[in-house]
Amino acid sequence: MSLKSYSRARAVHVMLVYTGGCNGCDIEIVNCILSPKFDAEQYKVFLTWNPREADVLVVTGPVTKHNEKPLKEIYKAIPEPKAVVAAGACALMGGVYKNIHGEIPSEEIAGPVEEVIPVAAKVPGCAVRPEDVLSGVVAALPLLLNAK
Amino acid sequence: MNDDNKINNNKSTKETIIETEVAMGVVHPAALEPYRVRLFVEDEIVKDAEITIGVNHRGIERIMEGLPVEKANSLTEKVCGICSNSHIWNSVMVAEKGLGIEVPDRAQYIRVIMGELERLHSHFLYLAHGNEVLGHETFSMRLFYIRETVMELLRMIGGNRVQYGAPIIGGVRPRCELNSKRIQKIKEGMDFVEEKAINFADRFVSDPMIMSRITGVGVISRKDALRLAASGPTLRATGVARDLRTDMECYDPFDFDVITQDDGDVKSNLLVRVLEIFESVKIIRQALKDLPEGRITNRSWEMADTPIIKSYIEVPRGTLYHSYRIEEGRTRNVIIRTPSMSNIGAMEHACIGNHITDAQLAIVQCDPCFTCTDRAIKIIEL
Repeated sequence: MSLKSYSRARAVHVMLVYTGGCNGCDIEIVNCILSPKFDAEQYKVFLTWNPREADVLVVTGPVTKHNEKPLKEIYKAIPEPKAVVAAGACALMGGVYKNIHGEIPSEEIAGPVEEVIPVAAKVPGCAVRPEDVLSGVVAALPLLLNAK
Repeated sequence: MNDDNKINNNKSTKETIIETEVAMGVVHPAALEPYRVRLFVEDEIVKDAEITIGVNHRGIERIMEGLPVEKANSLTEKVCGICSNSHIWNSVMVAEKGLGIEVPDRAQYIRVIMGELERLHSHFLYLAHGNEVLGHETFSMRLFYIRETVMELLRMIGGNRVQYGAPIIGGVRPRCELNSKRIQKIKEGMDFVEEKAINFADRFVSDPMIMSRITGVGVISRKDALRLAASGPTLRATGVARDLRTDMECYDPFDFDVITQDDGDVKSNLLVRVLEIFESVKIIRQALKDLPEGRITNRSWEMADTPIIKSYIEVPRGTLYHSYRIEEGRTRNVIIRTPSMSNIGAMEHACIGNHITDAQLAIVQCDPCFTCTDRAIKIIEL
């Protein structure tokens, strides 16, 4: 294990990007990392708002057309190695917003997160449960730690 | 000096050119939700502010167009992740008004209980977020801890922590029936919330650091609040006792006060929400005490065509408006207006005249929820 991954295993920084869902997943994720009940900080997971500091990018919401470019830029700003966790039904398959009446795609949605940036782990749920977010972030960790 | 007065009165901004602009967004650390703020600054004092929304537009009304009414109602839940129950409640009320459906008393009581629990969790979230922006993380953590109790109660009744909407056309979902065990749990939860909230409030108002930070910051005068059509607690913080709950039929059996504060600054805004928490606890206790017996859903109704029906209700953030008409069992011409929409003017106004570091606080004091606010709008000049 290199020195980098040794230190990274002791401080994982998560950045949350919010791309136009309903605010539910967003609050649950902030809640799960910050609030005293779940308190992910005791597992050395920290919330950061600076992409240059982040290791894991958590994306919620169906990516709206307006949010596509900012999301790509944020992804570019995160240093390698990085992992993306898509959280919530909207981030996985567009949720209720993706298709209008069956197969007619909505003009507002640029598609699930997968079609915009590569995704490492997927967390289902509407809204996601804090426990699931934790396990999703933990599942993405080997990608970071085993990278050279 | 002369110039300052002019701008503060919002009378002439065309003549002055402000050179420094601090832009924030679309995605920015200080603001959880994507929106764009432009602050026009002179000597670190904000002279003018502009909030742009629109990046979250998902077109819920477009998706609702032509859906069966029951489906469309449950879709409104996804407009907002904080006040999800309120949206489905108001949407269901539109259909009930149009079709003339009578809702059983027990269902009305359960709806009120859900609505008030939602107000509790929304206000706790607001206070926690406000304290985080203030820089007082200890208070923020304490409030998140109290909020967890309410979230657990909502999960117990509605089956989910976030999207727990109870109402359906003619009553509430069978899942949300309150049995004696659940009533007991809610009572215990309310005791806990009240005790902790009193402790928090005592500590909060006796903290000289916090009080000096928030007094006199982000002032919205009563006149401006009415002119900018602010709604909900933001309006009540300026001293206008306007609460749609006093007009709503389902709140008739309950005794509660409309909380107002006088100053319209961040302190008043925070204290209005703190005091409303105790009113909500009071309403929930009354509802649990007098919970009527009987069925919770009225199934004997028939679908019919209706003209456009409008409905306004009071939700945690202000006044929520839904309207649609029903044609062959499907919704048409859906319009939703969320409370943050009418508070945007107040947010911009609150920034003006403050130091630039207080601008974010001035925006957050109006309890913004930009995700639900992104609706397609058309302004008609009258």
